[in-house]
Amino acid sequence: MARSVWKGPFVDAYVLKKAEATRESGRNEVIKIWSRRSTILPQFVGLTFGVYNGQKHIPVNVSEDMIGQKFGEYSPTRTYYGHAADKKAKRK
Amino acid sequence: MTDERIVVGVIAGAFGVRGDVRLKSFCATPEDISAYVPLWTSDGRVFPAITISGQTKGALIARVDGISTKEEADALKGAELLADRDRLPSLPDDEYYHADLIGLPVHDSGGTLLGHVRAVQNHGASDLLEIHAPGQRTTVLLPFTREAVPTVDLAAGRIVADPPEGLF
Repeated sequence: MARSVWKGPFVDAYVLKKAEATRESGRNEVIKIWSRRSTILPQFVGLTFGVYNGQKHIPVNVSEDMIGQKFGEYSPTRTYYGHAADKKAKRK
Repeated sequence: MTDERIVVGVIAGAFGVRGDVRLKSFCATPEDISAYVPLWTSDGRVFPAITISGQTKGALIARVDGISTKEEADALKGAELLADRDRLPSLPDDEYYHADLIGLPVHDSGGTLLGHVRAVQNHGASDLLEIHAPGQRTTVLLPFTREAVPTVDLAAGRIVADPPEGLF
């Protein structure tokens, strides 16, 4: 069942505090968080979070199209190494 | 890099009794493997053409030039297929093949070696370079962005990174 709209999106309070502090300081740093359940809010766009996957913090650059998703969706807990073949990487 | 070959697929076994093979393609678009001919095996055998005729569970059905019987197809089970790096089409600016990035040394702006690229990952947000630092057991993931990776010099074979604080 989907979360009731009247409650608003869920975000752990410490994530909001850390994001706000980083934005105010203007420093280019990875914000380490353990809260995979927190929703990505519009004020997080442009920041880089290190989202814990149970082993290490995976860097997640937040962009506009990620708003409303959960941080955990971008930090998989299982790793798969395939062949490189003709796969491409784009520098954003 | 002209003589470099990259693995693009593997023969999973025979399909039917007419010499067709089950082909596992590692390409981003599996059918593209037929565009990278000639394909080589690690023991030096060359296949000048491959025709994709269909799909089966987890693999493509293909007819390989030079294979006409089920016995010949069975003998190739497990053979990795390699393509010349030159066969891959050129890419626009700021796009790179994983095969070109893997293994490159990564330096910071001061010239200090941070490590070598071990893999390129993408978990949905942006591409990440997995960097193995010398003397370390674990790897570090670096966002593949213009801010964090200002220079990628494939000709010189090096990457210059400006990693965010707290990453290394």
